[in-house]
Order: sequence, then C-alpha cells, then structure tokens
Amino acid sequence: MELYLPIAELPMNVFMLVGMGAAVGFLSGMFGVGGGFLLTPLLIFSGIPPAVAVATVSSQIVASSTSGALSYFRRKAVDVKLGSYLLVSGVFGSYLGVMAFTRLRELGQLDLVIALSYVTLLSTIGALMLTEALRAIAAQRSGKPLPVKRPSTQGWMQRLPLKVRFSRSKLVVSAIPVACLGLIIGFLGALLGIGGGFIMVPALIYLLKVPTAIVIGTTLMQTLGSMAFATIAQASTNQTVDVVLGLCLMIGGVIGAQFGAEVGQKLRGETLRALLGLLVLSVGLRFAVDLVLTPDDLYSLSFPTGEQL
Amino acid sequence: MRCGVAALAGPFALLLLLAAALVSTGPAARAYELVTALSNDRVSITSNFTGANVVVFGTIERDSQSVSRPSGFDVVVTLAGPLTSMVTRRKDRTFGVWINAESQRMRLVPSFMAIRSDHALEEIAQDSLRARLGLGLDMLPINAQTSLSPPARNPFESAFVRLMEESGLYSQIDGSVEFLSAQLFRATIALPANVPVGVYTARVYLFSDGALLHSTEDELVIGKVGFEQYMTTYAHRHGLLYGIGTVLIACLTGWLAGILFRRD
Repeated sequence: MELYLPIAELPMNVFMLVGMGAAVGFLSGMFGVGGGFLLTPLLIFSGIPPAVAVATVSSQIVASSTSGALSYFRRKAVDVKLGSYLLVSGVFGSYLGVMAFTRLRELGQLDLVIALSYVTLLSTIGALMLTEALRAIAAQRSGKPLPVKRPSTQGWMQRLPLKVRFSRSKLVVSAIPVACLGLIIGFLGALLGIGGGFIMVPALIYLLKVPTAIVIGTTLMQTLGSMAFATIAQASTNQTVDVVLGLCLMIGGVIGAQFGAEVGQKLRGETLRALLGLLVLSVGLRFAVDLVLTPDDLYSLSFPTGEQL
Repeated sequence: MRCGVAALAGPFALLLLLAAALVSTGPAARAYELVTALSNDRVSITSNFTGANVVVFGTIERDSQSVSRPSGFDVVVTLAGPLTSMVTRRKDRTFGVWINAESQRMRLVPSFMAIRSDHALEEIAQDSLRARLGLGLDMLPINAQTSLSPPARNPFESAFVRLMEESGLYSQIDGSVEFLSAQLFRATIALPANVPVGVYTARVYLFSDGALLHSTEDELVIGKVGFEQYMTTYAHRHGLLYGIGTVLIACLTGWLAGILFRRD
C-alpha cells in the first residue's frame, strides 16, 4: 500500500516503513539503545531526503524513549536531578545542532558531515564495544575472571569548581562535565538524528561513575527531552518533520521493541554487547566505503535551501 | 485512479474541442490555427498519489480562403512546471574522501519539463528557431535567456539537464504526438510521483515546413488536496505548533505501547 508522504513529497510503501521501524525497534529493544543511528541511515538509503530523515527520526525517538522512560520512572530508577542537568544542557546542544544543520545544508556539506560523523563515532564506539565484549567472552572461556577495574576517583574532574550533589546517584561532581556531556549529545542528536544513548550510557558509567542501575533511566529521560526539543526546533526552522512518516516508524518501532526486549533477555550480556558492537561497527564502515569509493556520478542537484533533489 | 479520470475526461474534451471548432469562425483569423485543451486542468495530489497522466488534445483549423499546404503539419507539445533555482555540485577527491567542491546555481529553470513531438525536433524546425523558442532540452534556457543560437552548455549545465532527465522531471519523447485524423492530435504526458506542485503551462506549437504557424497556452494546476495540503500548509505556516503536535503524538504512541505491553 503506497502512501504519499506530505513533507518528504514522495510515495512510500506503508508496510515497508512500519517494517523498518519494527526491525530497528527489535534491535533497539534487544540491545537497549535508541536505534536512531540505524534508522536514519536506513531511511536515507531508501530514498527519503536526509534532512527529512534526520528530523523525523527525532520524533520516532521521542515515542520509543517515552515508554522506556515511563517504566524506569515507575521503578524509580531515574536520577531526576542529574537528568534535568543533562536535559537543560542537551536542549542547548540541540538548538546549536539544528542551527548547524540548517547552515551546513545551505553550504551543501550536510551529507558529508553526517557521513564523516557516522564513520568516526560508529567505528570508534563499535570497535571499543566489540573488543571489550570479545575479551570478556575469552576470559569466560578460559575460566579466568577479568580483573574488575575499580572506578578510580576522577582525578582532574574532582578539582573542577561548581560541585553539585546528585543524591539519587550518590555522587558529588562538578556541573561542568555534566553540562558538557549533555551539550555534546544534544548537538550530535539534532545534527545526526540519533538519540545518543550509545554514547551517553558509557559516558555516565565510566566518566561520571553513575551507578549502572540508574544510568539507563536517566539517559532515557535526557533523550526524551532533548529529542522532543529537536523535533519542535526542526519543525519550526527547517519544516522537515514528516508526521505521517514519523507515525509509521513509531508504530513499527514500539511493537518491534517489545519482541526485541524478550530476545535480549535470553541472550548473555557479553554476546549481546559483541553483537551490538559488530552492528555499530558495520554501519560505520558502510558510510566509510561510500566516502572513499568513486561515486557513480560526480554531479548532484539540490535546491538552494540544500534539499537534495 | 488518475488515469481513470483522464480517460473519462478525454472524450469529453474531444467533444468540447469539436464544438469549439464549429463555433470559431473569427473574421481576422490567421490561415492556420490551433484549438487545444487539456484532459484535466487540475491534478490533485492525495494520499494515494503515485503519478498521473495528462492528455493534451488539439485540432488544426484552417480558414476557408487559405489553400491547404502541400506538406503536412508538425506538432510539438510542452508541459513546463513553475520556475525554480537549483544548485549543481561536483564532488572532488580531497584527502581520499569525495567531497562536494565546486557548485553552480541554475537560475530560473523549470522544475518540470515534458516535451512531446510527432517527429524528431531537429527535423521539425531549425536550431536557430528552436533556440529562440527555447524548444527542446538541448535548447532549454538556463537563467531564462533564450538566444538566437543554440546555448553552449558548461559541464555543470549539462549535468543539470542530465540529472533532471534521470529523475524523470525532464523528458523529451519524439514521435509521441499521435494524429487521430489529419487535423486531430493528442499527446499523453505522464507525471511522475515526485512531480513538483504549482502552476504548469502546457504549450502547443504548430509547425509546417520548418516555420512556426501558431501556438497556444493552457494552464494546469498541480496541487496537494485534503489531508496532504492541510499538513503541508500547517507545517510551513505553524511550524512550532506542528512540531509540538508531532511530539504529543509521539509521547502518546510511546505511552500507549507502554500500557499495552506492560509486564512489570
């Protein structure tokens, strides 16, 4: 069933869109990540203009993080104060991200920046995840437990001013790294159409030493807020949010996530992390190949606003 | 669905044409005159839009004094979309990575252009005449300048025309104007799903022995209707409210899913 998307201005098959949402939702439910980093490239590869893809995926991330955030709120596994700090700085970051997005689109370099960022971010994080998980698996096979790294007290971070107490996380830390983290992830989220959970979660655990039980709920709260802001900002400045496309993706996404979560609970933690690392790494490499290979056509057309033909 | 409408409108348009042909006996009429009509003067983009057909009909009228010309007529039909600006970019390899480098702006170019003719355009009229009329993709004016000689295209302009052809927005098909009788002709133009919206102009040119005898213009409006129109207007006029609305829908979907699949 073909459906004409009013903002993307092209017809797409509804079942394909819901299916893509469901497939990405399945993976995100399985691995506990937002899935924006998979959905945005998937939409771009299937012909949706990159600007519409990035902006619309932020609305899909709002839907998928809402159900997650609510369930963590019910279990009280959210540090609301830390989440608010991240959220406020994240909204600033989103705003800057949308501005950068508009400017780069006019310059005709948006696609390049998106591709380069995906390559750098995904390859690095994917490779790190994969090696960590493989090492854990190898250690388990040989029967030797991996030496548990004591979270060392953050040397230079302890010396920063503006200390804040986050009682739910049992943490006293300077507001500066917290705000920076929110700002960077909000910026990348709006620019690249990703929730940023796969950066935020390790950053909270390894940099800020937030207890693992609280990390995911707090991340979801931040993602929800900054992506909601990004959706509104994209809609009012670039008019690139396609609500019909968004709704198809949301419906597929929330259903797929349920099944993914069930499968995810049956798999071992290390296996899951190794698979996710592999997935992240391969998306990154896919972008790298496109950048390096000689394109079929050296010329391309776009409207003066930067929208691709 | 669209084709159905066109097919229904077709015979009706023909009847209209014949009626018009009977009535039009102006005193100062030129020797040869075209009477043309479109199968529909409006194409509506609805949620199930996947493209449409527009048929241009016409008859060639001759006043009683003029002698019939020895050789036949040639007809060229064009359908042009609203003028727009586009940017053509070229990628260059920088540090091993392909990056958009040079670019050129194509000003005042039609966003859509379909050219249909009964013979090859080169056989119908000389290049100088076609250049003056801007008739044919090779003569298409970029920056809205028609000239007496065929335009010299730089690589960016050639790439622009080629890419527009590849995207289906520009097309030129020789031999696609069908003569149903000696005077009556028809040309079918298929509009692709990605057709830009706006006011279109259908032009019909009548040639004989390489000379332009007459031409006509008809207007065609392509627009989104109903929900599609409403969403687009709303997104552009009230971007903020549209964004807030989208976020509310997203929250609602997420919340509903949370309730439906609640396990804890």
